[in-house]
Amino acid sequence: MRVPLSWLKEYVEITQSPQELAHTLTMAGLEVETLDYIGTDWGDRIITAQITHLEKVPGSDHLSYTRVNTGSGEIGVICGAPNIKEGDKVPLALPGARIGDLTIGVARKMGYVSEGMLCSPRELGLGSDHSGIYILDPETPLGVKLADLLSDVVLEFAIKAHRGDLSSIIGIAREVAALTHKPLRLPEPRFNEQGQPAAELVKVTVEDTALCPRYSARVISGVKIGPSPGWMARRLLMAGMRPINLIVDITNYVMLEVGQPLHAFDYDLVREHHIIVRRARDGEEITTLDGVQRRLRNDMLLITDPQGPTAIAGVMGSAISEVNEGTTRILLESANFRPASVRRTAVALGLRTESSSRFEKGLDPELTIFGANRAAQLMAELAGGQVHPGIVDVYPQPVEARSILFSPAEVEWLTGLKVTSRQVHEALSALEFKVEEVSAAADAFGGEQLLRVTVPTFRGDIEEGADLVEEVLRMIGYDQLPATVPEGPLPEPQSDHWFEREYEIREILIGLGLHEILTYAMTSRQRMLNLLAEVNAQTAQVLLQKPADDGQAGWVIAGAQARGGSENGFASDSREPFDARSLPAVTIANPLSNELECMRLTLLSGLMETLQENSKRNRAGLRLFEIGRRYLPRGAGELPEERRCAGIALCGPAAISWVPELARPADFYDLKGIVETLLERLHIQRYRFSAAQHPTFHPGRCALLEVGVGRPDADDGERFTPVGFLGEVHPLVQQRYDLPHRAYLCELDLEILYAAVPERLNYAPISRHQELTRDLAVVVDQQVPARAVQEAIERHGGELLRTVALFDVYTGAPIPPGKKSLTYTLLYQAQDRTLTDAEANALQERIVAALAEEFGAVLRS
Amino acid sequence: MIEQLDALLAQLDALQERALRELETINSSAELEDWDVRYLGRHRGELKNFSTLIPKLGKAERPVIGQKINAVKEKLESALEARRQELRDRELREALERERLDVTLPGRALPAGHMHPISRTILEVARIFTRMGFQVVQGPEIETDYYNFQALNIPVDHPARDMQDTFWVVPGEILLRTQTSPMQIRVMQTTRPPVRVIVPGKVFRHEAIDASHEAMFHQIEGLLVDERCTMADLKGSLARFAREMFGEDRRVRFRGSYFPFTEPSAEVDIDCILCKGSGCRLCKYSGWLEILGSGMVHPRVLREVGYDPHKYRGYAFGMGVERIAMLKYAIGEIRLFSGNDLRFLRQF
Repeated sequence: MRVPLSWLKEYVEITQSPQELAHTLTMAGLEVETLDYIGTDWGDRIITAQITHLEKVPGSDHLSYTRVNTGSGEIGVICGAPNIKEGDKVPLALPGARIGDLTIGVARKMGYVSEGMLCSPRELGLGSDHSGIYILDPETPLGVKLADLLSDVVLEFAIKAHRGDLSSIIGIAREVAALTHKPLRLPEPRFNEQGQPAAELVKVTVEDTALCPRYSARVISGVKIGPSPGWMARRLLMAGMRPINLIVDITNYVMLEVGQPLHAFDYDLVREHHIIVRRARDGEEITTLDGVQRRLRNDMLLITDPQGPTAIAGVMGSAISEVNEGTTRILLESANFRPASVRRTAVALGLRTESSSRFEKGLDPELTIFGANRAAQLMAELAGGQVHPGIVDVYPQPVEARSILFSPAEVEWLTGLKVTSRQVHEALSALEFKVEEVSAAADAFGGEQLLRVTVPTFRGDIEEGADLVEEVLRMIGYDQLPATVPEGPLPEPQSDHWFEREYEIREILIGLGLHEILTYAMTSRQRMLNLLAEVNAQTAQVLLQKPADDGQAGWVIAGAQARGGSENGFASDSREPFDARSLPAVTIANPLSNELECMRLTLLSGLMETLQENSKRNRAGLRLFEIGRRYLPRGAGELPEERRCAGIALCGPAAISWVPELARPADFYDLKGIVETLLERLHIQRYRFSAAQHPTFHPGRCALLEVGVGRPDADDGERFTPVGFLGEVHPLVQQRYDLPHRAYLCELDLEILYAAVPERLNYAPISRHQELTRDLAVVVDQQVPARAVQEAIERHGGELLRTVALFDVYTGAPIPPGKKSLTYTLLYQAQDRTLTDAEANALQERIVAALAEEFGAVLRS
Repeated sequence: MIEQLDALLAQLDALQERALRELETINSSAELEDWDVRYLGRHRGELKNFSTLIPKLGKAERPVIGQKINAVKEKLESALEARRQELRDRELREALERERLDVTLPGRALPAGHMHPISRTILEVARIFTRMGFQVVQGPEIETDYYNFQALNIPVDHPARDMQDTFWVVPGEILLRTQTSPMQIRVMQTTRPPVRVIVPGKVFRHEAIDASHEAMFHQIEGLLVDERCTMADLKGSLARFAREMFGEDRRVRFRGSYFPFTEPSAEVDIDCILCKGSGCRLCKYSGWLEILGSGMVHPRVLREVGYDPHKYRGYAFGMGVERIAMLKYAIGEIRLFSGNDLRFLRQF
């Protein structure tokens, strides 16, 4: 909403500077977004002038040569605009004037000398109109600095959604008057009515009074269509509208001035002179004034005549009964439409207009008469119109002014600001609320004085005490609020600890040298399928895998049941080419782009893409993690499941370093080490890694991590539940991301991980008895997993075997091909006595025998 | 006899002088041991040779010579010890010198990771409010229309929906939450006052992405409901937040605003952290920076969750984390947060 200060001053005296006024209004909730100073950059080289002669430039299809009277002489100017004629008064930029970044000079063009430039409204900063030269009022004196005539300040407001009443100059003036304690001066439309009464000339039928609470119509005849007077055109321009013709301009001018949208029909084009306000029929069509043919729905309200639609109510008219050059009789519509209906229609049609944006914020039905009369007055005065007696006014249920019993004590109760009943009275009265004192016993807010506050009908946003508190606060000033500290009782603990847990993971991973990234939760199916070495219905299922809800072992496929598919979810033949669209991700109905069409099922694609982007400019390696959610589909109409996860990605060396160990590119065991440290830091003791297959990973370099959930001594025993996969990215996947080193990825389900974190830590007393150390080197087949050997040692070592640590893995001579040597150091200790060598040796022999039996292990000599 | 005595004493003096002179030139512990044997050796040492002469001397001379021998012996022993120490010191010095490192070479540091500035900002804000008795809760990022809009006094077809362009999953029903405010409803529906929570999290807006707009960003919601809280408490709480977050001398300004779920509503500004209020580009020459929106929980919202608005009062606020981080760390471009450029992330 653009409000020229000169216009505003017509209704209220303003003594503050524009900046002070903007501050006053901003503090009271009417945020002034910009102060637009019009004309400050015009200087003294832009003056008024009159076109005395105009000729076409031969050889040009659009240029004219004009002679213009500058008041002190005549000069020649070349101009390309189509709208000028001899006698027009226009703004002239003389050589040396600056228009935007352009400095005007003397130019020679096609045999003519041009000594200046005629300006359009846009070139002068007067709105956006650039369709022609700005034609000044015929009474404009010549040779005068334009700045002396037209400079102004425009206040630009963002009108909040609940205050339709502020979408007008008078609405703003009313606030200024209240805030600065000045009277509001409203125009009083006066005009003569004569001729046949409007009621005999026009019939109005409102079929849907719910969507159209009021329809008021006037008839004005004998109007002459022409351009608007300069003052009106200038105000429209500065308010951001384009002058069109006098009648249309008057309706726009009155809308800007009083806030009531109006529509002028050519009376003679309204068939049978009968206005019918009704809902559209499904599929009915109308071509709106912007030339677009629009298909309508049954919930949209139309203005029609007996033969068809003439306007979309409150949104836009059509060409059928539009005012045109031959129009002499006007049917003026001043109506009130239901905000939600106008909004729904405008949104559905993608057609937001000055009119619809006012209606959807809610307008006062009482405003229609004032608006109609003001426009009638201007049509009589400016267009020579004859106003027919009376208004056809369909208004079956007049609004009643709302009355609220208000305790001034509620102000302090809610805001802590001490106010007197008198202050409240004054503040509300200034805003045109009617306030009466009512005696009452002590009320809910501890006050003893009650006020009966009658809300003006233009303040539909005021419904109860809290609304009035805000009005009082706005008038007294938000800056008067004291600042205190909440002293109420503290609540019981109610957090689920996930905030702390996620930060715990962050701190651990940062401590391990990983950088946290934060990627979009939106992605595309194709971007996620890029993670699969081979894409088919079978492999794509890993994107939907999640641990079972009951913490049982194994994976389930998210949403499989809801999709009614087989246990495997979205069943289709794995030999068929896979259609990305069949991947059941949470789809965004109105995505910003195809790249962001659905919610992610995995954090891994964001990690890989971030590796890719950073690898272009990073010679050192990349170590990244992200903590976020996977969005797994559930049944139709249900909110998706959001699973908290951590994803890790490694690629390349830890650093550019002279230290070989740091300069070495990351490998599988770096990643596994990070995961193991994470487990250690979380005190998770029961977990296992096992070789696994996953379509994202190298088939020989992928592990599944499972953690022990539940207790071994519970009825259902301890269960190993999957947490996630880790591994080296499959070479076929790697290729798609163009990375300089092999990449390693891991995604962990934090909810399962934390289910395995012990509720409390139990201290185990440190044994004071001597410990015995024995080394053990065995040779086994290459294929024997180290974990199996370690578990066997632990099992057979029993409780006297305190720790087992692998400290050497060796292949090559003299170890036979296909074999590997594993060397452990074992530490034996008893809690209650000193262990003898004999006991330790016996245990050691038992372990060696067991390894020989289970794995064919041979003691390495 | 006297001559003999004098001659012996002179020989001892000469011995001492020679031994000490020699000691000066010794540079290794091996030579030092040689010298020890040669002069002080128990069997064949030169000093020992003098001792063997003593019995042949007269009674009167014996003690003189004996004392002289002892004096020379002590002298040589202490000189030996001093020299030994000197050599040890020197050898240590030399050994240390040989082990000298270039301490300016980079250490074998495990490269440190960095927390994303958004996580860091959320943590900092959360700590400030937890010190004021707030608890941190989170909520679903995909929400229903009811929680995101309707329960917050934003009915269907309300123009306030324009303030928050929405990504829809099921149009009209399920959406990507446009604000963290739905958790106000979820928290109040499941607990009774007193309530003090903050809710950090992701939010989504269907907006063209540019230097100051993101389609996904983060908010922190605050909600306090009890039987005595006022808007002055809101102002006091936020003033404390502003001071802790942006510096002890920060001033807070409340001005009127509109949010459908608060009444009265207030926009909260702090005096500009760059120019301290005198006006600069950052604050668009106003001297103030908008940091968050707030207000007293709307009675309709309280009624919606079954709280009696004549008994309970509450305040709520919501801030954009990116906005706070941009002000705090002087970041001029919102897209950096989702860009994940390591050159950016490493600075936090």
